[in-house]
Amino acid sequence: MDFDFSEDQIMIKDAARKFLEKECPKDMVRKLKEDKLGYDPLMWQKMADLGWMGLILPEEYGGTGLAYMDLVVLMEEMGRNLLPAPFFPTVALCALPILEYGSAEQKEKILSEIANGEKVYTLALTEGSATYEASGIELCVYLEGDDYLLSGTKLFVPYAHAADYLLVVGRTSQKGNPEEGVTVFIVDAKSPGIDTEVIPTAAHDRQCEVRFDRVKVPRENVLGEVNKGWDIVEFILQRGAVLKCAEMLGGTEAVLEMTNNYAKERIQFDKPIGSFQAIQHKLAQMLIEVEGLRYLTYEAAWHINAGIPSKLLISMAKTKANEVYQRTCLDGVKIHGAVGFTEELDLSLYFIRTKSSEFSLGDGGFHRERIACELEQLQPLFIGNCL
Amino acid sequence: MDFKFGEKEEQLRREIREFAKEELPPGWLAAMLEEENSDEDWGFAMTMSGKLAEKGWLTMSWPVEYGGKGASLWEQLAYSEEAAYWGIPGVGMGIGGVDWVGPSLMMFGSEELKKKHLPLIASGKPDGVWCTAYSEPNAGSDFANIRTSAIREKDEYIINGQKIWTSAAHRARWCWLAVRTDLNAPKKHQGISVIIVDMKSKGVTVRPLINYAGYHIFNEVFFDDVRVPSTNLVGKENNGWYQLMHSLGFERGSVAGRGCGYNRRILDELVQYAKENHLFREKEIRHKLADMAVLIETQRILACETIWKMSKGSNPVYEPSRDKVFNDQIAERLAIIGTGLLGMYSQMDPLQRKSKWTKLKGCVEALYWLFPGIAIAAGTDEVEMNIIGQFGLKLPKSY
Repeated sequence: MDFDFSEDQIMIKDAARKFLEKECPKDMVRKLKEDKLGYDPLMWQKMADLGWMGLILPEEYGGTGLAYMDLVVLMEEMGRNLLPAPFFPTVALCALPILEYGSAEQKEKILSEIANGEKVYTLALTEGSATYEASGIELCVYLEGDDYLLSGTKLFVPYAHAADYLLVVGRTSQKGNPEEGVTVFIVDAKSPGIDTEVIPTAAHDRQCEVRFDRVKVPRENVLGEVNKGWDIVEFILQRGAVLKCAEMLGGTEAVLEMTNNYAKERIQFDKPIGSFQAIQHKLAQMLIEVEGLRYLTYEAAWHINAGIPSKLLISMAKTKANEVYQRTCLDGVKIHGAVGFTEELDLSLYFIRTKSSEFSLGDGGFHRERIACELEQLQPLFIGNCL
Repeated sequence: MDFKFGEKEEQLRREIREFAKEELPPGWLAAMLEEENSDEDWGFAMTMSGKLAEKGWLTMSWPVEYGGKGASLWEQLAYSEEAAYWGIPGVGMGIGGVDWVGPSLMMFGSEELKKKHLPLIASGKPDGVWCTAYSEPNAGSDFANIRTSAIREKDEYIINGQKIWTSAAHRARWCWLAVRTDLNAPKKHQGISVIIVDMKSKGVTVRPLINYAGYHIFNEVFFDDVRVPSTNLVGKENNGWYQLMHSLGFERGSVAGRGCGYNRRILDELVQYAKENHLFREKEIRHKLADMAVLIETQRILACETIWKMSKGSNPVYEPSRDKVFNDQIAERLAIIGTGLLGMYSQMDPLQRKSKWTKLKGCVEALYWLFPGIAIAAGTDEVEMNIIGQFGLKLPKSY
């Protein structure tokens, strides 16, 4: 066992923190919240120049060829600084599955464009049912000549308004289980018949409704195999969930830090409020939870990195992240008192993102169900082995 | 980073599982904290201590010269986890022999004390069994408030006073005793020392305290002009507070590995019970069990982080308190969820674990009735939270 960061990881962490503190201070985060695009293309290009988009893409596609764990470290810093950018959808939700399932031509073209910052990608997965169950995929797909025609509506698609391409999950067969008969398409966002509308979320984090009206997609734009798309979705759910955990972890670390600092500075009854046990014990509990989330996230990530992804650990990490992010923000707000209720406090920027993080790639109920399935299948050690 | 135990630890786990299979009665499922309660259980625990000693596991992390194997902290953690999972009794040599008396003696004890007591503990025999006497009627969380005195007279100390909540005092041969050696010290933390007392000494009286569920775990211990050789002083006179903070650190640090092994066992039992009794299909129940699985995995990985820091040579200050309070919180939830799952059957007297109505050998009831004791021992949750606040978050002292 070893909990140490590698030298690469320490470098990534330091460089990311420096860059984000300089290029993306909180007034920038606030400004982008009201911006039409929701992110800064100049900053995006600088991120690409730093090698972030291609961090774990192979060098042949213009990437740096680092490992999944290194991306986790970077995401944690982005979460800590609340970077508003389509990084998560482009890299976590699209580049990773394309690297895994894409054809040689697809990888060649797409991954290079992602690595150099030229193109923004996103995943159009959830629909009106607003779940991550396969049964929720209803977007109709017909084959007409050499093209597929896509019709339906996708909901809560991050940064679709700014995306150049969409990975669209559609239903290509009604036979068998809902998991069978799902296909993933790479769709040009400028295709005729696509209509995008930004959903007014509390976090202003640019989630969209995307309507598809007989959108033509050429055959060669299928990612992976026809009707086998749910494997890709499962891959995205697992890889993406842990990266989301890392982002949320960074957020909880920042919230705990600013709340702890406030508790040391804020004087009431002639003492810092952090000297009162009612406050101090709340902070101590926050520390326990944040540290627990940190190592649970790293543990799940390490298993992915080592090529032995554990569905159990991944769902444990996301369940924990959902709980801890919300709890830490809520207690952080409360410890700040009335100022915690204001827009002016940086903490509010973290708090306002609780729900979008929670429901990104599975809420507690979804992941508890997955954990329960794993527990049900596990044979306990004390049966068979001993006694 | 690397989140896998090494082959050495995995091999040790396999050996312990094999040992458990051979040495424990069929269907064995020990309930925590209760081995000192009945003569029968205690007798069995002592037999197991002897066997663990023969295997070299009882004090495996101690140096060879003191009866250990020089095992790594990781092996020690794997052993604690497995022993607790399988419910192997007799791992502690009373209250603290293995976990903090030994390590504290190695840190502060004279050569003479080390040579005498460490092999005794490592032997797994009744003469190596300890109790630990810190609390007094007016010194609970405010531990430094102790009054029991040890007054030096030539080459002896004369001890007078009363200790309370002294677990296993009725089983122990030796007492790890916190006393006041300077009655006029300007501050109460000064003037405290640690002295070893033979429980067979004249003037030592042990009076049972029975817990609300009928367990005889702890006691009152009275010291009435008890004469102890001055060489029984551990470390320096009046340096006791400093030494005791280390001992308490060892004590808190011993909770995590054992706790996650034991909690994991109870969870596995509950999942199995739920599956066999058609309860697992109920969403509320399976989600509660899923939550417990998340908590216990978190506990395990935090325990590993503490060990990792120690293995790198740093001295974790708040982490043992973090791990201890987290274990208390998990034990409480597990006990409440577990009794809920057993429903009416959870009303059974935990001491009647062979009763035909008792489920899972009474381990869930035992956890329910004993977790408040686990939570209070070695420092209440509130005391642990103070330590986390002060040392983990650098907040001002709050008490």
